[in-house]
Amino acid sequence: MIELRNVSFSYEGSADRALDDVCLSIAPGEFVGVIGPAGAGKTTLMHTLSGIVPHVRRGEFFGAANVAGLDTITSTVAEMSKTVGCVFQDVESQFVTTMVEDEILFALENFSIPRDEIPKRVDRALSDLDIADLRSRSLSSLSGGQKQKVALAAALALSPSVLAFDEATGELDPASSVQVFALLSQLRRERNTTIIVVEQKIMLLSAFADRLIVMDQGRVAIDGPVRQTLERPGRLLELGVNCPRVTTLAARLRDKGLYQGAPPINLDEAEVMARGILR
Amino acid sequence: MTEMVRLSNVSYSIESHVLINGVSLRVDKGEFVALAGENGAGKSTLLKLIMGLIKPSDGDILIEGTSTRRQKVSTLARSVGYLFQNPDRQLFGATIRQELTFGLDFLGVSKDDGERRVNETLELLNLNPDRAPTSLSRGERQRVALASLFVRRPTLLLLDEPTTGLDYRECSQMMNQVAALNRESGVTVLMITHDMEVALDFSERMMVLSEGKLIADGATRSVMRDETSLRRASLVPAQMVALAQRLGLAPGEADDAESLADWIADNARGGADDARHS
Repeated sequence: MIELRNVSFSYEGSADRALDDVCLSIAPGEFVGVIGPAGAGKTTLMHTLSGIVPHVRRGEFFGAANVAGLDTITSTVAEMSKTVGCVFQDVESQFVTTMVEDEILFALENFSIPRDEIPKRVDRALSDLDIADLRSRSLSSLSGGQKQKVALAAALALSPSVLAFDEATGELDPASSVQVFALLSQLRRERNTTIIVVEQKIMLLSAFADRLIVMDQGRVAIDGPVRQTLERPGRLLELGVNCPRVTTLAARLRDKGLYQGAPPINLDEAEVMARGILR
Repeated sequence: MTEMVRLSNVSYSIESHVLINGVSLRVDKGEFVALAGENGAGKSTLLKLIMGLIKPSDGDILIEGTSTRRQKVSTLARSVGYLFQNPDRQLFGATIRQELTFGLDFLGVSKDDGERRVNETLELLNLNPDRAPTSLSRGERQRVALASLFVRRPTLLLLDEPTTGLDYRECSQMMNQVAALNRESGVTVLMITHDMEVALDFSERMMVLSEGKLIADGATRSVMRDETSLRRASLVPAQMVALAQRLGLAPGEADDAESLADWIADNARGGADDARHS
């Protein structure tokens, strides 16, 4: 579904490589989490998938990127946007209307979705994100987290084959963040949507993603199954990435010779681990 | 304890929306308080009310004993620092030094004293004065914004999700510096956060706001066990608190990975106690 071959990119006017020889292959229906310190190239990677790099954010591009059969260099950003649904960190920069409902309608109408299907899609997106009550509100009257939910709803309504979220839950309350990730899992299950999310909340990534990519200085530093990646908390810390607390607990119990199993990735697994040790 | 902030039955409405509904609370000098709640609960509105940027529709807010209704925002800004969620809304200097120096003149700080304060703050927050704020990462810009508040020596810091968008390293750095300011200069901190791990690690007390109402207020580790309030406010407790609760530990008995690992070791099958009993 996504294939990056030796992709390197430097922004116009900068000698530094924002991406440095990135090779990546993501299968349809994979749920991939991307994490890493500021300046690691995470956003540039997401912009590459949507064609924003190098078509809008210009610079020197090397290598080849292909998303759902589209070459990102020869395709336009408009073509890419039908396949890749993006939500960025700063959602206000991607709003094109002033009202909640219009914002969700806008893309549906522009992507020539059949007329009778549009209201159903809007209703579904609003209810999926629990924001049906915000339907007729103006975007400027919403809180940061509510705006983020509207941007997410607009992306989900299009049901693209790839969803690329760049720290799109940063301002959401914890339960809403979990809800969004659960929704992504469901889309992957039901429609085989390919999901790639940049996220600093390692607890969410470990609980929902099946693969973790850790970026550092424009390169892919680690790429592997979540659980396997969490088995090396020391290496993650070196890269400025923290482990979920349940994983840290497992490491401490391992140090004490009390636990030999794989690190838990959520609370339920941590409880099973602890009860297995307790008398 | 001396009172820093007091809200008495404060409500705030805009058009027909009631954003804050009868909130009463008190924060004492030197406290570090976390404020959590669902999206749209009214957290940022509450901070803006305390800062005096908006005035209550009902009730009264006292900052060090004086009502925000009777003070200009510019007067309040001498003692209250407000860190926005997005640092770019409050940075405009060409260099970090300029950013920090700006504003001190208006406060009537002498040149010598100003220079001393700027240098102290640069050192405390480990910032290079000649760098342009625009050339920095978001985490660094957030720290410059914090520095530009701190140089004015506020007695109260209002922080609106200071760690959003920061990576783990930036987040720890930022929070450790806020904690140091709180500990060493006694500045009172009221911080909005969605990150329950951050709330647990840094705040002694936590308030929960839901649909404009204050629904919980107490020791952070106890409030995090209040499942009803947490669910109402769309919050998820810190992992170790939740696990300790599931394992039947008392609040505060072990709330972090280190102490929980110790507790599990003490109560493990075949552990020291088992040996004594057999």
